[in-house]
Amino acid sequence: MENEYTILGERMKRTDSLAKVTGAATFTADIKLPRMLSAKVLRSPHAHARILNIDTGRAEKLPGVKAVVTAADAHGVKWGVFKYTQDHPMLAMDKVRYIGEDVAGVAAVDEETALRALDLITVEYEPLPAVFNPDDAMAEGAPLIHEEYANNINIHVHIDVGDVDAAFNQAHLVREDTFEAAGEAYSTLEPYAVVASYANGFLDLWMPNAGPHVRAKALSNMLKMPLNKVRVRHINVGGHFGARSEVSPGDLVAALLSIKTGRPVKLALTREENAACTRQIHDIKATIKTGVKKDGTITAKDFRVTYDGGAYSSTGPIATSIPYYVYEEAYRFPNVRYNGYRVITNKGIRGMYGAHGRAFLCGNEVQLDMIAQELGMDPMEIRLKNGLKVGEETATKSVIISGGLEAPIRQAAEKARWAKKRIGLPEGEGIGMGCVAIMCGFPMGFRSGSTCYVKINDDGQATIVSGIVDTGMGNESMAVQIASEVLGIPPEDINLVNADTEVTNLDPGAYSQAASFVGGNAVKRACEEAKRQILTLAAAKMDHAMEDLTIKDRTIVSRTDPSKRMPLRWVVREAFFKGEPIAATGAYMPKISFDREWIKNPQGQMAGTYSFGCSIAEVTVDRETGKICIPRFTAAHDCGNPINTMAVEGQIEGSIQQAGVAVLTEENRWSDGWLLNPDLLEYKVPLACDMPEIDTVIVRSNDPEGPFGAKEGGLTTRMNAYSAVACAAHSALGVPLKQLPLTPDRVLKALDKAKGGDA
Amino acid sequence: MMERYNVSLKVNGELVALNVRAGETLLESLRERLELTGAKEGCGLGACGSCTVLLNGLPTRSCIVMTAELDGAEVQSIEGLADGTDLDPLQERFMEKGAVQCGFCTSGMIMTAKGLLNRNPKADKGDIIRTMSSNLCRCTGYKKIVEAVEAVSSMSEPENK
Ligand code: FES
Ligand code: FES
Repeated sequence: MENEYTILGERMKRTDSLAKVTGAATFTADIKLPRMLSAKVLRSPHAHARILNIDTGRAEKLPGVKAVVTAADAHGVKWGVFKYTQDHPMLAMDKVRYIGEDVAGVAAVDEETALRALDLITVEYEPLPAVFNPDDAMAEGAPLIHEEYANNINIHVHIDVGDVDAAFNQAHLVREDTFEAAGEAYSTLEPYAVVASYANGFLDLWMPNAGPHVRAKALSNMLKMPLNKVRVRHINVGGHFGARSEVSPGDLVAALLSIKTGRPVKLALTREENAACTRQIHDIKATIKTGVKKDGTITAKDFRVTYDGGAYSSTGPIATSIPYYVYEEAYRFPNVRYNGYRVITNKGIRGMYGAHGRAFLCGNEVQLDMIAQELGMDPMEIRLKNGLKVGEETATKSVIISGGLEAPIRQAAEKARWAKKRIGLPEGEGIGMGCVAIMCGFPMGFRSGSTCYVKINDDGQATIVSGIVDTGMGNESMAVQIASEVLGIPPEDINLVNADTEVTNLDPGAYSQAASFVGGNAVKRACEEAKRQILTLAAAKMDHAMEDLTIKDRTIVSRTDPSKRMPLRWVVREAFFKGEPIAATGAYMPKISFDREWIKNPQGQMAGTYSFGCSIAEVTVDRETGKICIPRFTAAHDCGNPINTMAVEGQIEGSIQQAGVAVLTEENRWSDGWLLNPDLLEYKVPLACDMPEIDTVIVRSNDPEGPFGAKEGGLTTRMNAYSAVACAAHSALGVPLKQLPLTPDRVLKALDKAKGGDA
Repeated sequence: MMERYNVSLKVNGELVALNVRAGETLLESLRERLELTGAKEGCGLGACGSCTVLLNGLPTRSCIVMTAELDGAEVQSIEGLADGTDLDPLQERFMEKGAVQCGFCTSGMIMTAKGLLNRNPKADKGDIIRTMSSNLCRCTGYKKIVEAVEAVSSMSEPENK
């Protein structure tokens, strides 16, 4: 199809990239304000202990120290995303529940003084027995970490559709396998930092965040301040991937210190603090039972999945659900039961992750290959047979309005030459496929929608004000590209004001793949309304039918008679004369079920639309050393229609790194509640030399609801790339690898076990 | 009181005289004293490369170099790369090829590439991947970063320069 658009879909230079290549882009730690103080946090050395007493007297007397805060300075309000998960005080009150938990904060004239002050605070602890994994935590007689969670079970998500047991009884083949994966570190390259500045009753805040409005709301609750007095400001964010979704303990500490001193306060965490004391990713164990017919049709699924939740709830209900949903959004399950347990342990806090759920998702896909093998089927055929199509419903009743799994599978397979490669690969080489589908937006109540304001200035240039948040993926540039297309003016004529709670309106933020689908729609609608106002005025001025007019290159032109034209700025000035300046609002609320609730009512339309994707990995495995290499990787992602083709490719490529290659190396390692590898030397983020040759395939499905047909731009790869690698390793070895990441020692162990005959 | 040292350096072509603490890193001096915040602290441990600047022409992790030892040295940071509004070809290609996402690694990546091309203007893809593997990026998967550097290396498309 010819591109009917001027700039939409083009490989546009991102609008934020100039500031980033010149070093001018400001990140939180770069902020310097007059009279700013440095803050440091005193952290718990115990995994589980009662706090008997905190004495800050000596620290307060140290010259240069301006304030010390503890829970006594806070208001006793605990944070939780949901009413039923409010369990995290952010500054420890009566107990500490993990090593590294925030106990006290100090603000001083410089960092050295703040650090010295920490040594002068004495905390009396009474150590309590601790538990470090879900099995121990759920065992009879285990120490209770929170009074309110019996057996330390924080969240139980239970889904039951159809008659699972009957379906297993009638199945031709049933398999049950258990897969385990260590949790990962987000490893955003920017360590956490926050600047808080309290003056005249207003608290201004800058921090890497994925949604300033939710952040401001949480802080207004915890600080007992009116929402309009808490202003979260726009700032560049050095990566997110789920890490920056929620309010962070540092936000509260810096805010309290700034309120107490009346001076701006900067708290910048070290890399190690960022790893051990901000949220990390769940360790997961998934038992997966699948029943199929002789022809490979899946008839029943039964899942029992435990998530090591660390010390607090965080996004618990969401994190406990998402791996399941992105799987049911891809495949047809007539009968399915899901029991997801998120269990509290005395480890660091955990949140959502862009590549969340690898034990569950790899496990399902590897098991599907094992089933295909037993049935003598091609892994691609069994996926095509069970993949959802447009018009179908997921097991929990979400309708698929565009895409479907078939196109990405076929297009990835063609690009990777699947049919040819699958048969006749030499010994030690393998090829594997992983699939998933992703909701574009989670249900977030009235925060599920987005709003944009646009004004056209007297020079014919535009200012758009949108809640859209960019944590690195290019959402800001995406909003400008959409506005440019609609308004017929080049991107350099558009100024974007975004993600600042004082001026922008609610937006779902950069958490749930809603930015292009929801935020982009709001931008498009606002610009369309502005365009309508412009053309109405132009039609009168030019004495020409409005339907025949459009805007191109800053000019109003007739579609049929190119000689009829008028500069846009003339029309805009006319509007000012009339006292009706061009200004418009556009909003978009996705068509979702607001009755849906993660635990109480897990059914109904989850998101406005779904993206679909298929990854194919080619691997080599050295049976002597256990080392896996990934020479080639192909990823097909159905983004509806790309707004910026280059940005979509970039998301897919980053996903291949963060999920596909990461599954060989990345894991947080723990010993009795201590994180053993909190730095970037011991935690192995893949490097340029670890990357495969990459082919990206952008699949178009032209979503009927999405702005210009667009859906989200690349997350399917982030949730299926590891499956493709695990399946490829299985095909190379003939032995399923059930422990992730696929480090050489785990590969060798699996090979040994297979030799012993009990794989 | 900790011992202090007088150091004069040339930073982005300008002579600066600093009085620094013994343990002060070049990264701290740049960011805090000279307000050049383009070099970032990703780890403070020499692991990530986000703090890379050119020290006497060589890519150097400024978080593990002590300023007190640098008397007479020449430092180039990302802020000194463009000539006014005239960008360095690396900066241009990074934008054009989509090699910038969150941007936190970008200045370190560009300075590392600059050091490579200073030494070896004809660096090929293999050289580029090897050299750029000294720096971490969490967002891009590196493909577009490698492509951007390739496009500047005189091994490819000389007309693009
Ligand atoms: S900050 Fe210097 S190498 Fe990471
Ligand atoms: S662009 Fe984000 S770390 Fe490289």
